[in-house]
Amino acid sequence: MDFTTFPTELILDSISEGVFTVDKNFRIQFFNRAAEAITGHRRENVVGRFCKQVFQAYSCEDECPITRVLQTGSNITDFTTRICHGSRETIPIRLNASVLYGNQNDPIGGVISFRSLADNGHADPSFAEASRFHGVVGRSKAMRQVFDLIEEISDSDATVLIQGESGTGKEMIANAIHATSRRRDKPYIKINCSVFPPDLLASELFGHVKGAFTGAMKDRPGRFELADGGTLFLDEVAEMPLQMQVQLLRVLQEGTFERIGESITRRSDVRVIASTNVNIDRALQEGKFREDLYYRLNVIPIDLPPLRERPEDIPHLVKHFLRKYSTAARKKVHEMEDEALDCLIQYPWPGNVRELENAIEYAFARTTESVIRLARLPLVIRQYHGRYHRAVAPHTEEAWHLLALLEKHHWNRSRVARELGIGRTTLWRRMKTLGIAHT
Amino acid sequence: MHEMLGNQLFMARNYPSATLHLERALQAHPGNKAILRKLIICYTQIGETERALDAFVSLIKDDIDYIIETNPISDDCPCPEIVFKLEDDLHGEEASYDDNLVLGMLWLYCNAERAWDYFHKALTQRPGNSKIKSVLTIIKTRIPATNPIKT
Repeated sequence: MDFTTFPTELILDSISEGVFTVDKNFRIQFFNRAAEAITGHRRENVVGRFCKQVFQAYSCEDECPITRVLQTGSNITDFTTRICHGSRETIPIRLNASVLYGNQNDPIGGVISFRSLADNGHADPSFAEASRFHGVVGRSKAMRQVFDLIEEISDSDATVLIQGESGTGKEMIANAIHATSRRRDKPYIKINCSVFPPDLLASELFGHVKGAFTGAMKDRPGRFELADGGTLFLDEVAEMPLQMQVQLLRVLQEGTFERIGESITRRSDVRVIASTNVNIDRALQEGKFREDLYYRLNVIPIDLPPLRERPEDIPHLVKHFLRKYSTAARKKVHEMEDEALDCLIQYPWPGNVRELENAIEYAFARTTESVIRLARLPLVIRQYHGRYHRAVAPHTEEAWHLLALLEKHHWNRSRVARELGIGRTTLWRRMKTLGIAHT
Repeated sequence: MHEMLGNQLFMARNYPSATLHLERALQAHPGNKAILRKLIICYTQIGETERALDAFVSLIKDDIDYIIETNPISDDCPCPEIVFKLEDDLHGEEASYDDNLVLGMLWLYCNAERAWDYFHKALTQRPGNSKIKSVLTIIKTRIPATNPIKT
């Protein structure tokens, strides 16, 4: 038998190591069988897509291994990172990377070969334990109740409305809901309703036909069509214009819609998960959010508690983020001194988990030893620890909230007043009543 | 090498570094539309509005559809997010000449008529600017007669 005539694809499909290639635009061109098995992504669903959209690794943007090969001229071996599995969970992998060169010796793409570390004893068990619910870290009672609810509704197609302050992890909860649902192998499409101008949002959701409006140069399906059979995550749903809310309500009630510029009614089987950080009661009172849509979305409500109400989760989150950045930077910083951790536990975290992660990333970058010390934490957190915790010690939830807002805006009262929708003098009176003064 | 590095840095939204590599890539491949399309966005994000405009003019003269047919998802185009943030930052106030140029260029990746509106505003701020006049003329060819433009 002439082994030299075996097609390369056949050979690559027979090995146990995952292999994929990208072109110079970082679109996936080849994806072998082992890559499918390790990542949970089907070849036909990933070929042609940008690798960062598929794997969503934190190393994709700042530490892309192929980019490092391009920059250094040396291949990468045994680089450990985490990628997003088809189930939406992140999994640890170890990879090798090299660049593919064309006839002119110009880079024309890259190749990654990789193995999973999730099931061969290499994975750190405590990491998996901390990330125990589909990448969402939390052991407080409030978070365990949320995890329990997600498991209870795994057989349901009912709409879910996730409410919580900015940075509490609403998108991660939506990911977990999809990953545990019967639709987990079907498309999972996301859209941030606050990002698109109103005229683009309708087109994004429902699609359009060529010539429907100026700039509509070809037919394009909307996200409801793309999500057919799967799940659509509507982030920041309360920011949606009222007219769009009417159209969304119709899709939720009837499952039908039309592309813009077309009269053909289309049907899509989509499970909707929505989220908002807006005070929905106030939005309803002010007529900014339709009551009928609210009831249609709020079939299964999930309220995510702010981080200040679950400080017991902070040590677990700190450990989680330290491991994440240690892996990415290949720098061993696995501990935080007690005083620094106390400082983090006392801080009110107006930006919630996202702000905590940023603080850890900042401290991590500034740390050259194996332990993060108090002095390496961001100034605003250390100042809070020094000035306000001992001096003010607010006793009410309202005082905590106001203090958190003041910290968020670096005690710029005009900005705080604007965010609260009150005047500066009203803010000053409220601060006085609550015993908050800038010392 | 520079094109591939520029592409990755553009995907990472690291516009200053992406600019350096995409410029080098363009030197090696003059007139490359894929590079120009990204470079225009990079220039607008690092404050090099006039250079963005020069690149923009050269690309739309060559092939305006290459910009118009950009797909935000399959082309990983950041323009919808950028224009929304820029417009939001204006808080309804009058846009500066630079803002109008930037919004005009970036809107063409999403909507030709909106792009025309912003370039028209820029022209009212700098009447007689021949570059903007030629941009308006080219964009006008892509606005259907059913959507008459304001003059």
